[in-house]
Amino acid sequence: MTTETAPADRIVLPGGEMLTWSDLPEDRPVTAGALAVLAARVVPAGASVLVAGPHDPALLDRLAHAEVTCLLRGYPDGAALAPRAARVVVGGPAGLGDEERFDVVIAGAGLDPIESVEGARLGWGGVLDRLTRVLRPGGTLLLWAENPMGLRRLVDTDPWYARRDDAAWSVTGVLDIDHPANRDQLRDRLAGAGLRPDACFAAYPDAGARALIDADELAGGATCGLFDAVLHDVGGNGFAAATVLQDPARLAVDALHAGLGAALAPGWVVLATKEPASGPSAALPVALLQTGPGGDVLEVVAGPQGWRWQVTSTARSETPAAPFATREVACRDLTTLDGQPVPQGRLLRTLLLDAALRRDLDGLRRLLRGYAEWLAGQAGADGELGGAVALATVDNVLRTDGGYTLLDPSWQVTAPLNTEVVLARGLRRFATTLVTGGYAHPWPSTLDIAGLTVVLGGVAGHDLSRETVSAAVETEAAVTAAVRGLDNEGRGVLLTELRAVEPTDPPAGPRSYQQLHEAWRRQREELTRLTALLRWTEELLTSRERALRRAEVKINLLSGSVSYQVGRFAVTPARLARRGARAAKRRVRDVLAPKPQEGQ
Amino acid sequence: MHHANHFYGHAHVLARYAGLGTGHPPRINGYVQHGWNIGDGLAPGHPYAERTPSLLWSEQTRRRAWSVGRRNVAVIGAPFAYLLAMEPGDPPAEERQGTIWYPFHGWEGQHVHGDHKKLITLIRETEPGPVTVCLYWHEYGMRKVRRLYENAGFRVICHGYRGHWWKDTDPYFLDKQLVELRRHRRVASNRLTSAIFYGIAAGCEPAVYGDPMVLADEDPTFGGTARIRRQWPELHGASVDLPTAVAIARDELGTDHRCTPAELRELLGWANLQEEPVDH
Repeated sequence: MTTETAPADRIVLPGGEMLTWSDLPEDRPVTAGALAVLAARVVPAGASVLVAGPHDPALLDRLAHAEVTCLLRGYPDGAALAPRAARVVVGGPAGLGDEERFDVVIAGAGLDPIESVEGARLGWGGVLDRLTRVLRPGGTLLLWAENPMGLRRLVDTDPWYARRDDAAWSVTGVLDIDHPANRDQLRDRLAGAGLRPDACFAAYPDAGARALIDADELAGGATCGLFDAVLHDVGGNGFAAATVLQDPARLAVDALHAGLGAALAPGWVVLATKEPASGPSAALPVALLQTGPGGDVLEVVAGPQGWRWQVTSTARSETPAAPFATREVACRDLTTLDGQPVPQGRLLRTLLLDAALRRDLDGLRRLLRGYAEWLAGQAGADGELGGAVALATVDNVLRTDGGYTLLDPSWQVTAPLNTEVVLARGLRRFATTLVTGGYAHPWPSTLDIAGLTVVLGGVAGHDLSRETVSAAVETEAAVTAAVRGLDNEGRGVLLTELRAVEPTDPPAGPRSYQQLHEAWRRQREELTRLTALLRWTEELLTSRERALRRAEVKINLLSGSVSYQVGRFAVTPARLARRGARAAKRRVRDVLAPKPQEGQ
Repeated sequence: MHHANHFYGHAHVLARYAGLGTGHPPRINGYVQHGWNIGDGLAPGHPYAERTPSLLWSEQTRRRAWSVGRRNVAVIGAPFAYLLAMEPGDPPAEERQGTIWYPFHGWEGQHVHGDHKKLITLIRETEPGPVTVCLYWHEYGMRKVRRLYENAGFRVICHGYRGHWWKDTDPYFLDKQLVELRRHRRVASNRLTSAIFYGIAAGCEPAVYGDPMVLADEDPTFGGTARIRRQWPELHGASVDLPTAVAIARDELGTDHRCTPAELRELLGWANLQEEPVDH
């Protein structure tokens, strides 16, 4: 083996490097991600850490308390990460020295991108053996493994076996038995490599992991409102600009309810200890959730009193405060969340969708009235809502045993909002989901979004006006702009988009083939309805015109009769007298009416 | 708007409730169920434009309508339920007297065949107090039929003309019916019909007994009177359990599904009116 030291003097080239290859996307947003927080948690201070494969530079920033060695196959990636690491080895897994040992090995992008095109192929098992060998006994392996039957594969418009991109020099999938294809296989493979599996997290939506949820808790938490909200969020935002076969958020939440949230996760993050391991594995959070525009990571930790929020400090200070921050209608204070219990209950949106699908009007009435009363019960004497509850919508409210509660009360309004507007905002969000999402529901297709919002308001026992709904749309744009960190122009664009939503539109977010097809069917059904209505109206018009002609003939006939002419002659003086009296009355009224004063 | 929406002044009641005043009601974007029925909520033979909303009384009717291919079916409750919301306050039992009896009626296109004399005898034997017989305008106009009931010593009334092709609709038909129902302690008929459910909702004790009579060319699609007796046996007889009857009437009239005024304006297509008000 020849070793060459690069000009950066931290980069080691033991051979097998890919000189022009890069695995790091150029425009990746710098966010720590849940994986980075988990990595920081399992790396003790001063530990020697091997970060194998491409990782977000922000992950290395979170490991500043350790001595980090990076193993990368692409030279540009090595150069990019060199300032953040003590040493960068650019080459295949064979580039690691036989005598090297690390306290922690992190392979957060999986094992496949560790292998170079150069040299002999080791395969998934071979790379795992290689990484396990450089791990000290008792050391920790943090590994991401893709699920070949996971959410990402299930919604992909391209078949996994037909990849054409440059990284597809070898296509691996479920047919390759060298790759573990489910949690059990993964556990067995780790044990076979001399590792003790300690924890397994379901990782959504990809290797970067916006959400890491304890796989066993997820599998057993079919009706957990927290998991419902999180999976819906990562299912939508995690595929934001993608074209997909079906709605990933819907599929993720359906999987949750079927107890398959972990089995169908896009991937898993496992923690394993190299045998012989001493002592029990450390307590880990139930979930790590990346949230908000700043990439804050919230942890959910289990305690004797149940689950509690735990706030992890992030690199938010690196993001300059937006110049428009003072004008935001909503802001976030994570400190209010730290140590607070995580409420348990079912997500209101899911309960409402279920009731709408079953056309259970009584159930919808109970849920919506309860929600509206819960909001109204917290309003001040002036009928306005302040604080976190002013941002309550069906997407962040749980139905608990004792009533309703906010899942995450860290977002708050900066100025109170009218209670009716708050209710209308929540209902309009649900109306939009219901209609553009193509869900079956108990109301006619003739309603537009605002109309359905008013109807939902009625079901909730509130007579909402369209003006209130219009105000709610403006509030929605302002709140969403604050949550996403948009400027005034972005907020204006958002408001225009919200106002333009039609019931025959597909939903915002990923372009799902299934939902586009459903939107097309709605348009077709509307055309059918309008065509039938037009035909019916034409027939009715013809019938009415015929009736009118009959009436005109009768009138003409009667007008020409002697009795009509005599009667007309008799009443003419009376008609003229009445006309004269009216004109006189009008003149008197004009004279007596007070004249407007000049200058007013 | 379909002319059946004007029957019995239904559109007028809904317009009053929706805050549109007592004038000519605007066109309704859909078909309002105009009577209790055991089918899809629409009258057999009415011309129907595909996917035009059916605005039905009850959830059960909605399910039935869907199952026979209707789409855009929505439950809004019976117009009578809206009238009750505008005219609350049933008088107490001590201020009510006797029975209001509705012999089953046909309509302009279908006549009933049956023995009115036998029915009169049965009513006399069954009803404990004075009897008011309410005839449909069609039978009320048949001097022979009306005389039969008058000669039996019954007070004979008619709530008015339900209207046809927007003509001569009595916009206060239901109001008159409610006033009469509230005068009586009992409501009875020889068939389970809208009037029985209205009576129950207006605080009367119901009874359904006697020869149900036969409607000429009665449509057997949904099972006719035999099915009605099979499905609602609790409501048949000279005396029925009142709480059960009240609960069934609540379901069949869709009282719990009554919309708020703004909600109703949206569902009927009255939220963005294009037409000028028509004084009538």
